[in-house]
Amino acid sequence: MAHDAIVAEELTYRYGELVAVDGISFNVAEGEILGFLGPNGAGKTTTVKILTGQLKPKGGKATLLGMDVAKNVDKVQGDIGVCFEVTNLYEQMSAIENLRFFARLFGVHSLDAEALLARVGLAGRGKDRVATYSKGMKQRLMVARSLVNRPRVLFLDEPTAGLDPTSSESIRNIILQERERGATVFLTTHDMLEADKLSDRVAFMNQGKIVALDTPHNLKQQHGKRALKAKISTESGGLEDREVILDTPETPGAVQELFAREKVVTIHSEEATLEHIFINITGRGLQG
Amino acid sequence: MNLRIIGALVAKDLSLFFRNRFFALITVLGLVVYMVIYFIMPKAVNENLEIGLYAPVVLPAFEQMQEEGLEIEVIESEELLKEGVTEGQYVAGVVLPADIMEDFMSGQKPKISVYFAPDVPEEIRDAVGVLIRELAYQQTGQALTIEITEEILGPDLAGMQIPPRDRMRPLFAVLLIMMETFGMANLISEEVERRTINALLVTPVSVKDLFFAKGITGVSLAFVQAALFMAIIGGMSRQPLIILTALLLGAVLVTGAGFIVAALSKGFMSVLAWGMIILIILFIPAFGIMFPGAVTGWVKAIPSYYLVDTVHRASNFGAGWGDVWYNLVVLLGADLALAWIGIMALRRKLR
Repeated sequence: MAHDAIVAEELTYRYGELVAVDGISFNVAEGEILGFLGPNGAGKTTTVKILTGQLKPKGGKATLLGMDVAKNVDKVQGDIGVCFEVTNLYEQMSAIENLRFFARLFGVHSLDAEALLARVGLAGRGKDRVATYSKGMKQRLMVARSLVNRPRVLFLDEPTAGLDPTSSESIRNIILQERERGATVFLTTHDMLEADKLSDRVAFMNQGKIVALDTPHNLKQQHGKRALKAKISTESGGLEDREVILDTPETPGAVQELFAREKVVTIHSEEATLEHIFINITGRGLQG
Repeated sequence: MNLRIIGALVAKDLSLFFRNRFFALITVLGLVVYMVIYFIMPKAVNENLEIGLYAPVVLPAFEQMQEEGLEIEVIESEELLKEGVTEGQYVAGVVLPADIMEDFMSGQKPKISVYFAPDVPEEIRDAVGVLIRELAYQQTGQALTIEITEEILGPDLAGMQIPPRDRMRPLFAVLLIMMETFGMANLISEEVERRTINALLVTPVSVKDLFFAKGITGVSLAFVQAALFMAIIGGMSRQPLIILTALLLGAVLVTGAGFIVAALSKGFMSVLAWGMIILIILFIPAFGIMFPGAVTGWVKAIPSYYLVDTVHRASNFGAGWGDVWYNLVVLLGADLALAWIGIMALRRKLR
């Protein structure tokens, strides 16, 4: 059975009177991808800062790879990789220089910077100054930077934000490859589809608390509704929408009646999205 | 602290410093320009008093004074003499009347006009007046009836006057050190503004490593430049160890100042603005070397005074450890205070 790579116990953090993180507890198993979702100001970034040793919690305890983060910051930080949402690269240096510099900080002497750049789709651009890169290229370089020490726990904050579909897909593949390697991935994102696709489990955070934590499938089962969406032809020749809620005692009868009494043109099933579930649970959207 | 990490950070900072064209330029240009200025400045002291003289009849006593530290140039007309004084060729212009000898013979007082430029100090005016009376007495053969007593206030530097370029030597060295306040502050400010510091602080880099590395970078940049300058211009021919110690302590001082500027600044322009304010304050004591007597006791409250004074006295007069130990101790204290304030201010900013 996999051990827990991350354990948060009653973590609390306040900025003055404002409670940013309000006694949250959760754990992430080794090799698991946890999607960490929530609107702006929910406390996600503060939680990540506590877990990565940037902030000391005002209450509770964070344990990474069996070590108390607050007491073993240096050791913990040697085993993690962090990819920030905001670009923070040394722009006057080349991509290779950036990677080699960070590798030196981690004590990595055998970094194949070219191979790492090729992995994120930046082959052949390693010697160019980062200032000449596009936003997407910088984002990919940030992902590469977070991998220089082959981290056991990888924190990714909106790694695909603002990227074109191809770049996003290549980064998603890297996340999955890292999981295959055995790394634990803590993925903070607004992208519900991405979280749904990649995460073994997702945590919804709202107003400093974790309001739901489970696999996407279970969350949909518990909080979402499945439905049949149909378009029927009317007598006047127009089209009308019909919806039949699935998984209820009335469902079989409603489906039979639909086909018996209406002229069905198209029909498809629709699953609840994580966004719908989040709204159901919290009463607010993820963007706000 | 982790030496491997500190080494990596210092190498990165030095690399970034010289990739910033502005700071690389002012560093190299500063070094070159100060050396050029130093070498083109007069290397000897001109102790002669240059006086212009318009006299239809030149008195023998005036000719005799040429050999006693006076440079008297005879001018063809009173108008040309006035022009020469106005343009600063002479500290004074003396006009002797055509009938001066007759006046002397008959016991009458001859009327002698003396012209001074507006900026001639009072003591020069007095000296020239005394000189003319002396010459008149010599010419008439009458003995002086007064007794003059001399009192030397402060160290007697007669015969030890410093050539202008050597007077400027500590000034240039200190200026080179001070300029690094900008570079240091900008390195830190950029790290904060571009959030690269966040990327560093989730690696095994500790805040201590970071400050130590920045300190080493700042001290190295400032110290190496100033020491190089002093070595090239021959400023370390006397008391090199004392000068190097003073420059090192000065480099620490500006590094602390750089930390404070970085904590106060948000971006390049505010680094320049705050840096300039600190630079001007630290630069004030250097005027005491350029214009002795121009600054008063309060400049001793500015820590850079002890740097300037030590470099000046050690390089120009060969002052030993016994003469400058107090300066060095005060400078060390100021270093610790400024570094502590700078680090505290930066820590607060990082939080």
